[in-house]
Parts: sequence; structure tokens; C-alpha cells
Amino acid sequence: MATTLPVSRLHVALRIAAAVLGGYAFTWGFIALGVGLLFAAGMPFHDAEHLSSILAFLVYLAVFCWAFAARSLPRVWAVLAGGGALMAGAASLIQYAIV
Amino acid sequence: MFQNFRLAMAWLHTWFGLVLGFVLMAVFFFGALSVFDREIDRWAIPQSRFEPQPMPSFDQVLRPVFESMQPTRENVEAMRGRVNGPMPERFETVRRWGAYTTHRDPVLSIFAGYEVPNAKDPEESVFGSRTIDPRNGQALPDDRLKIGSQFFYPLHYSLNFHWKDIGYWIVGSAALVMLLALVSGVVMHRKIFRELFTFRPKKSTQRSALDLHNLTGVVALPFHFFFAFTGLVIFAGIYFPVTHTQLDPLHELHEKLDAEKTGLPHDRAGVAAPIASVDAMVAEAQRRWAAKGMAGEVGFLALQHVGDANGYVSVYRAGTDRIALTGEGIHFKASTGELLREDPPPTAVARLNEFLTGLHLQHFRHWLLRWLYVLGGLAGCVCIATGFLFFVEKRKRQHAKQGSQGARVVDALAVTTVTGMVVAALGVLIANRLLPDDLPARGSWEQYCFWGTWLLAMAHAFWRTAPVAEGRTAPAWREQCWAIAALAVTAVLLNWLTTGDHLLRTLAQGYWPVAGVDLFMLAGAAVAVLAARRLKRRAERAPAAAGGIAAKAAHA
Repeated sequence: MATTLPVSRLHVALRIAAAVLGGYAFTWGFIALGVGLLFAAGMPFHDAEHLSSILAFLVYLAVFCWAFAARSLPRVWAVLAGGGALMAGAASLIQYAIV
Repeated sequence: MFQNFRLAMAWLHTWFGLVLGFVLMAVFFFGALSVFDREIDRWAIPQSRFEPQPMPSFDQVLRPVFESMQPTRENVEAMRGRVNGPMPERFETVRRWGAYTTHRDPVLSIFAGYEVPNAKDPEESVFGSRTIDPRNGQALPDDRLKIGSQFFYPLHYSLNFHWKDIGYWIVGSAALVMLLALVSGVVMHRKIFRELFTFRPKKSTQRSALDLHNLTGVVALPFHFFFAFTGLVIFAGIYFPVTHTQLDPLHELHEKLDAEKTGLPHDRAGVAAPIASVDAMVAEAQRRWAAKGMAGEVGFLALQHVGDANGYVSVYRAGTDRIALTGEGIHFKASTGELLREDPPPTAVARLNEFLTGLHLQHFRHWLLRWLYVLGGLAGCVCIATGFLFFVEKRKRQHAKQGSQGARVVDALAVTTVTGMVVAALGVLIANRLLPDDLPARGSWEQYCFWGTWLLAMAHAFWRTAPVAEGRTAPAWREQCWAIAALAVTAVLLNWLTTGDHLLRTLAQGYWPVAGVDLFMLAGAAVAVLAARRLKRRAERAPAAAGGIAAKAAHA
């Protein structure tokens, strides 16, 4: 059953880090952007907060699985860390525009 | 890294499930016990063994108690580092008084939050708390440990490990891994429906452990998913504090706008004002709920900016009649009793959130549903425990041949977190009945007894799993089952000897909180005896079957 392709310990560690930390960064960005966009669009603040975080845990779960299933590890890191940073940055811009 | 998605999922399931499974075991077990946390409190604090009470009169009972309160010494000490300059002797400015009760509480928990002069974060309050008998306002001794609601329940979501909130984070990771284990488990087994009807207890331990693992995982799959998921949602603010860090300015903006919109003042006016009759406000709130056709018990009563012209009183409904965690709050001006605001009907998102959190926190009044929660939680425990067993059974012969201790260590940790945890839970209940009544810091001693018992169980587990390293079965399981049986019966007997409340009396009086805890422990003892006897029979059969290396090889 356990027929994995031969990979180094470092690769496994980087996969786990990508799933846990990269996934966390991506989810953070998702919540931030969700709150920013929904609030800007007129949704009550706590609704924006709740809806974003309810969806966020499903997002975390999905990207966590994807981090192990995807072939290219650099791509996983680029999407998760890069995407997270982009979304968080966009959220800060929205906040800057509103406050 | 893997040839296909299924293999990736199997790897995730095995290794993440193993590592966080030990945490999940505690989360599921103490979560199941927390369903009856208030009842366990009754067992542990005999002074509180009377019928649940409604929220008492504020004007007659609560107000004098609140006025006599001050922050607890520990909270003042903990605050000291977050203040510029010395701490005052007395805290005069009350930011908030609150009283909280449920339909299962004879006693009432109240708290008071005070403004801290020169606090580095001026929004921060220092809190005092007390538990009172709502019939007369008398305080219960505050060193009594509410084993259900203040020990088992927080253990369920924080492992009672509060340093830098690390306990919350460990439990949160475990909840995410639970979701992961469910998704990956479903991907691994394509024949989900068949697992519901497959249990072959007479086959090898490995086979029957896997059957039971699949059965309990699939049969309660929606339960497991929902509870892990809603647990994460409840603490989303801790795991992703986005709106208190990165988006704090946005949050502040919202709070100011909200205070304008709701008419509930965000800050004090700085002008002293008296408090009008709060009982009259409660009566008015109940009249308004009744007009909407809702049950009218008060669950939570709070006074904000006490003694100030901006002070207001919030009355929230106890949501005993629905799953959603609702409040239908009604707010009054404290100095006049004038109605300030009635919370509008929740939005669609708020209703979704109230439903998800309410489903997990169960404030409703429905005993059958409560018992189903316990069964779901215990099914989760069986699922996780059989996962460990399967892991060990699958590898122990291989590890024995290689001279590896891997399977033995996993088995020892499994014994510690499965039977050892039950032993520890019984340990704290027994300590609760045996420690002298006037022992200072009695509650702390009870907690030390819990952790001490667990450590002993762990030591025993590591000692008596040695045969696993040779590919055989550990006697630790059987011995701890006997320990559970003996301790459970002891706890029930001690309850009788120290309080006089034996089962015949509690059952005759219909006092289910205490009778239920006793009966649950006796049922646990019976299960433990059955398990121990069965394990013994298996152990007697096993040496004949797996006598030589050849037989072991044939098994593998």
C-alpha cells in the first residue's frame, strides 16, 4: 500500500510546512480579503467576519490536501504563500480606502 | 511525492491521524463528558445538589453580591505586568456585571469586570467571579473545583494548557486533522456503504480493529465532521485573529458606527447615575419575548458602565427551545429603565453562525439529543482507539523482526490516552471525595491528582507494553481495564460514604444529575470488565497460535 515515490526527508518536511504554514497564510489572506470585500460591499461587519471564517476552514482543509496531492512543491509554495500575501495585501488596501 | 491522490490521502490519514490522534482522543472523550458537565459539577460539589434555579431577582439578591465583589487576587497579579505604575488597592469603576445560568444550573456564576487605571491597553478589564446559591445570594466556597464545567470542559477545548493559548492551538490543529482524517478516510475506502455492516469480531485483532474503525468512522461521519468543523468555527477568532490584528482599524470603525446605530454607548459619560429597578426591566423583556411566542427564561443578564449615566442593562434569553445559540437581547437604560433597543431578527449569516455554534454548544433542553451527543463522542473515541490498534497490529511483527521499538511506543501512548485517560478522570473524582474538606486550594489538589494519576497510568503503559516489541500483545490494556473497573466502583462507593447519596436514594428521589454520574461509572466498570476478560481469552489463545517465528511470518 505504502508505495510512495522515493523522496528525501527534507522534501517531506517542506510538504508538511507548505500544508501547515502555507495553508495558514493562504487561509489568513482569504479571511482578510473576505472581510474587507464583504464589508465594503455593505455586509454587516460580524456577518462578513463569520461568513469568511466559516468558509475559511473549508478552504484550509482543501489546500491542505492539495499541498500533498500536487506534483510540484515549488508551485504549492508559490500559490499558498504568494496567494496568501496577495490577498492579505489587497485586504489592507481596502481597509486603507475605507478607514 | 505520491503516485496518486489515494496514496497521498492514505499517507496523510496514517501519519497525521497518528500524531494528532492522541490529542483527539482527549478532545472526544472530555467533549463527550462535557455534554453533562453541569451534572458532573453536582456530583463533585455536594453543597450544590439541589434543583436548577431560574435567574434570581437582581434588586433583591444579585445587586448586594455584585456590590461586595472585587477582582480575584490571581487576576490582579496577572494584570500587574500590563499596567504603567502600581495597581490600586480597590477597583472602583465597574465596567461590566454579568450573571449567567442554564436550565441545568442550581448555582449561578457571576462575574464583574473593572476598569484598570493606567492599563497599557485601556480597553482591558480585570475580572472577579463568584458562584452563588441563587436562592439566598450566599457564596459557595471558591476553592471548590467544578470538575465538569471548569475542568473537563476546558480540557476538551484547551487541554487546560493556557500558557500563550498553546492548548487551544494544539486542539485546533487536532480538529483540522480530524477533518483531514475524515476526508482522506473516505477517499481511501471506496465502498463506504459496506463498512456500515462489516464487523468481524472473531477474526484477527488487526481485521476486527479495522472493521470497527471503519464502522464507527462511517456511522457517525456527519457527527464527527460537524463537531470538528464547528469547534474550529467557535474559536475562529483565536485561530485567525485577523480583525484584531491586521484589520483592527476596520473593526474599530465598525464598533463606533455600531454604537451610533444601536444607541448602546461604547464609553462611559463620566457622570454618576443610579440604577433603576432591573427586575422591572427583566419583566418587560419577558413580556416582549412572550409577545413573540418564545420561552422566557433569562440566560444572561449584564450591566454595562455600572453607575454611569451611559450605563445600560442587557437581558438575554436562555435558548432552551432551539438549537441555534440565540439571545434575542433587549437593552434598557440603567438609570431610568427606558427601552434602548431590541435586537433585530438575525441576518441569514448570523442565523447560520448561531446554528453552527449552537449545534456544538447545545444549550437546548432535549435529553435524548444530549445522550446522542455522548454516543457520538464515544463513537469518535472508539474510532480513534481502533485506529491506534490497527496501526500497532499491522506493524508489530515487522518491527519485532527489525528490533524496532516503534509499535511498542505507539501502543504505550495508545494505552495512556485510551484507558489511561479514563483512569485519570476517575482519579480526579475519587480525589474529590477523599481530600479533606478544609484543605487550602483544594481545587488545585484535585487537578494535581488528575495529572498525577495520568502520569502513573502512562508509566504503567510504557512498562507493560514491552511484549509488543516482541510481536505479542501488551498486558497493559487488560490491567488498565481492571483498574478502570475498580476505580469506577470505588468512586460510586465513596460518593455514598461521604454524602449519603447512594443510588437507591438518588434514583428514588429522581435526582438524575448524581444518579446519572454514578450509573454511567458503573456502566463503564461493566464494559471495562467485559473488555478485560475478552483480552485475557485472546492473550491465552495467542501464544499457541503465534508461538514461533514461522507462525508470526504466516500471520504477516
